[in-house]
Amino acid sequence: MTALIHRLFDFERDESVGEVLFYRVFELIVMYWVVFFAWKWGLYIQRLGDIVLPLGIANYVDVSFMFTGGMSLWNAALISIAFFVGLVRISRYGYLAAFLLMHLQYASRFVLGEISHGSNVIGFVLLGMALAAVFFEDMTHRRRFVIGFSIFFIGLGYSTAAVSKLVASGVFWVDGSHLWMWIHERTVDTYSLTGVLSQNPLQRTLLDSHLLSTLTLAFGLVTEFFGFLMWYRRRWIIMTLLFSMHIGILMSMKINFPANNVLLLVLAYPWASLLDHGLGHLKKASIDRIRWISSVLC
Amino acid sequence: MESMLHSVRIKRLLTGTLLVYALLVSTHLGEFWPFSIYPMFSRGGHDWSRAIVRDMKGSAGAIRWEPSSIDTLPGEAFALDDQGINQNDIANFVAKSAQWSPRRVAAMRKVFGPALDSRQLLLYRADGRLEEDKSITVTFTPFIFMTSDSTYFNPSLDISFESESNP
Repeated sequence: MTALIHRLFDFERDESVGEVLFYRVFELIVMYWVVFFAWKWGLYIQRLGDIVLPLGIANYVDVSFMFTGGMSLWNAALISIAFFVGLVRISRYGYLAAFLLMHLQYASRFVLGEISHGSNVIGFVLLGMALAAVFFEDMTHRRRFVIGFSIFFIGLGYSTAAVSKLVASGVFWVDGSHLWMWIHERTVDTYSLTGVLSQNPLQRTLLDSHLLSTLTLAFGLVTEFFGFLMWYRRRWIIMTLLFSMHIGILMSMKINFPANNVLLLVLAYPWASLLDHGLGHLKKASIDRIRWISSVLC
Repeated sequence: MESMLHSVRIKRLLTGTLLVYALLVSTHLGEFWPFSIYPMFSRGGHDWSRAIVRDMKGSAGAIRWEPSSIDTLPGEAFALDDQGINQNDIANFVAKSAQWSPRRVAAMRKVFGPALDSRQLLLYRADGRLEEDKSITVTFTPFIFMTSDSTYFNPSLDISFESESNP
């Protein structure tokens, strides 16, 4: 556990200007997704009128008050403001408020039986930001905690997904005919959405080959199972494979996980070191100016 | 000394989050956003039910409640995306509503909103099944017919209604 914490968090290492700038960009990316989900769900919630399957807080609170009077839009506005409060460090509780209100927004949006997982990674990062702001004073420690916490729970999430499949279906989950079932299911979904019945060349190829379909599922299951490898130094390898898996899911089943993809790409590679390398070519005065701006803004 | 304190704090935060994670997913059927056991696509090869919608305006004659194949569906395709409707929500109404009530009917009509003002929509339940010989069959069964002011359920389906609710 201690070695894992040292690898993921490493509070003692000096923080570079590149790391500070990278984290600010990371926060802005998270802000984009939080605001995007908050308003997308907020607009849709106004179309809802009943609770078919309560999720989260909706098990204890009748969230139908969110369906009318623009309540979900007010909540989206509050989430956006709370995140901004956290972003500009007005209050250390801004991110916590945004996280709790996002849970309410999610529980209000997904009441009809659909359980969406496209936003879970953003939820974990936001939770990490909330905990960091509440429990750590030093900004360097906060930043290190958020990145480590995010990588820990994103990795755990992928491994958990693989374990769920193994528990529910065993190793024969990889049977290619299961992929055929999902391709047909998604073909119906796409037809329902667009009114056009179509399958792309990859889907047709997979439907023609049981072996290829089995290998595709096997790749997905093994890659997900080893998601926890992102806790180690060469995390870019497993994160790149997971990104490839998402591209495969998009092409074979037309299911997109854009927030996952963005976070995988952002957390997989040493962007901070690249920034430092780029800054190394600047004149000292410019670096001092950037250092001053980053100390003020971040 | 300070680094040890930080390490202890991180351990506590991770352990605490993991405990909350385990507690919430174990008591809420695996889902409590953002905590999840990610059960999507975990049940390989199982039957599935989805939904499609047909625009019946202009279709001559009474509604026929018999199942169809994709090639013999009556009316015209109704693209949910054009109306900003999520297809999962419609599929869940059809597949996961164990009991219908006036409130649920009103809720489904509300999702369609103004699209119902000038249309007659027939919702089909699409049932996918993996046969013994590994072939896949998809059957489309009429489920609900909606006009601008009325809603009719397929009388041959075993649909449960709350009292005084069968529209």
